[in-house]
Amino acid sequence: MDAVALEHLGFEIALGTYLISSVLFILYFSIKKRRLVEMGFTLALFGFAFQTLALASRWLYAGYPPWVSTYEVMSFFAWAVMGAYVILNVKSDYKSAGVLIAPLAFVLLGFASMQPTNPAPLIPALQSVWIFIHVPIIILAYCAFVIAFVASVLYLFKDKQLSEARMTEGLNRQRDVASKDTPPSRTPESTGILANFSLEQLDELAYKSVAVGFPLLTIGIITGAIWAESAWGSYWSWDPIETWALITWFVFLIYLHAKTQNWSASIAAYIAAFGFISAICTFLGVGYVLPFLQTYISVSTGLHGYAGGGAISGTVLFCGILVAVLLLLLATRKRPPNATRAPPAQTDAESGPTP
Amino acid sequence: MNFAIKVLTSIRFALATIGVIILVSVVGTLYPDGDIVFGSPLFLALVGILAISTALCSLTRIVPLWRDVRRPPVEVSDHFIQTLPYAVHLSGVTLTQVRDSLKGYMIRETRTGKTTFLLAQKGRIGRFGPHIAHFGVLILLLGVAIGAAYGNANPYNNKIAVIQEGGSQQVDGFTLRLDDFNVSYYNNGAVRDYTATVTVLDGNLIQTQNVTVNGPLTYKGLTFYLYGYGVTQSGNAWVAFQIKSTSGLPFVWVGAAVALVGIMLSLYVPHKRIWIKEADQSTQLGAISNKSSARFFREIEGVRTKLESHAHSVDHTTRSEEI
Repeated sequence: MDAVALEHLGFEIALGTYLISSVLFILYFSIKKRRLVEMGFTLALFGFAFQTLALASRWLYAGYPPWVSTYEVMSFFAWAVMGAYVILNVKSDYKSAGVLIAPLAFVLLGFASMQPTNPAPLIPALQSVWIFIHVPIIILAYCAFVIAFVASVLYLFKDKQLSEARMTEGLNRQRDVASKDTPPSRTPESTGILANFSLEQLDELAYKSVAVGFPLLTIGIITGAIWAESAWGSYWSWDPIETWALITWFVFLIYLHAKTQNWSASIAAYIAAFGFISAICTFLGVGYVLPFLQTYISVSTGLHGYAGGGAISGTVLFCGILVAVLLLLLATRKRPPNATRAPPAQTDAESGPTP
Repeated sequence: MNFAIKVLTSIRFALATIGVIILVSVVGTLYPDGDIVFGSPLFLALVGILAISTALCSLTRIVPLWRDVRRPPVEVSDHFIQTLPYAVHLSGVTLTQVRDSLKGYMIRETRTGKTTFLLAQKGRIGRFGPHIAHFGVLILLLGVAIGAAYGNANPYNNKIAVIQEGGSQQVDGFTLRLDDFNVSYYNNGAVRDYTATVTVLDGNLIQTQNVTVNGPLTYKGLTFYLYGYGVTQSGNAWVAFQIKSTSGLPFVWVGAAVALVGIMLSLYVPHKRIWIKEADQSTQLGAISNKSSARFFREIEGVRTKLESHAHSVDHTTRSEEI
């Protein structure tokens, strides 16, 4: 079997296994059998191994690293996100986080599969050592931000779940005390996927991910500037991708300062989520939405561009991911307590944790 | 005035400024010409305010930080140790035993009367990370300013020099000669790279270099980039070079590197401190770290349990030799 066929085989297998893996993780939400998570993780691992094969074959026969055209960059990003997920599970158990990771990897590969795959030899501007440094480092930074986003969203959901459980507990106790029938007080618990993680653990995971991603992004921006200076004569031209990368950098800078100033963990989680949105805008938005908009209005598309087009499907992908992320974040909002009910008892000596 | 200083040195103000810069930048990416927003007085003022705020934030905090890190208290009270985030009484373990089990720490030990004090520290430089990063950013901004001021003042900045193959061009007191221009192709006919062989003639100096898309020529504060090429009507190849001033660039790169070092130090080097106080029969130990406390405390727990179990096993065999 030659390298091209091997690449296609590896890619197709990965695409399929990421899909099945996603379905299994989502099923776990309703059926809650641990077995589904284990199977989902094993399949994801399987797909990751085959994608590794595919990327290696690609590098071999194309003669340059597999992160230049849209097809390559998206495949590589999906592979790297999966890799980050696998590494995460080496020392701890974050398998159920696959419910967010596997669908992302699948969507990215699906998008990649719609792009032209023929390897075009590198244009003169890309004949540089920086292609081995700048591009993969930026993508690894984005992977770290994916993990930070997943951890932050899980944190916010758990925080909301716990606070709602506490409120219900308090209201139930109030009602039961009034009816002179006091059940034993229970500590509020999480259910489902969120039961596997503690708030501190999720907050720490988000921080550690940003602690990895932020320096990587810094190096990525600096090396991009060095490359731009040697190729385009200017280390910074407020190119949309440059500007959005800097915006992403600033958002995570705020995150890190918020952490040292001990701002609340949920505020920090929202900041990290916005940082991730900014990363999506940098990675997908600028590359596809701007060329798409260019057909209608005059916008700057800048000097960056992924070879192999995909402006329309890329815009759809960008909008899809953005909407999914925003809906997730909206779902984490805590509902304010119902105004018509009396506030829960505060002074009962035997009561458990009060809100 | 005091209020102004208080605001300018507050981190919240700096973060708010960054927030505004973020919003302005988002708007800026929608304009075809970046300079409309990013060259505007508003944006420049925001960056200036951030620079001042960053400088003041560091200047006001670095002196007390220096004192705390370089001259920390060694002879501390029981209360001091007991109120540290990690504080234990050691049983059957001496200060010396703990000291010898700690690897890579800087030790300061003093004795007053019958009490021995010890402070073990590691990673002090990590505390300076944020200030090093701030300093790096300020150097970078200085480089940007120098480039904008001197670079734009340079008459050759942003000019295009067109040289025919075999011909020369006088630039700022020296001469550039285009010896050869070659386009290399892939098998499928696509362009692989452009290579212009250029010689610099300056008095006695004769220096030849290949100029490619990613490999420009720099000489005497000017950089020459491949900009375009063509063929004249008489069949002579010509190459266009874009000229840029290098003013300020060294500051930009050095500033960026220093900032990166500061960032890594602040994220990856925790400042760990352990105080031990040994008096009469009791030995107390307290510890604090500015980050990664959980791992640090686990480390100390490991040392402590190992030493304490060793001490107890020695007791059980009723031997009294020093471990």
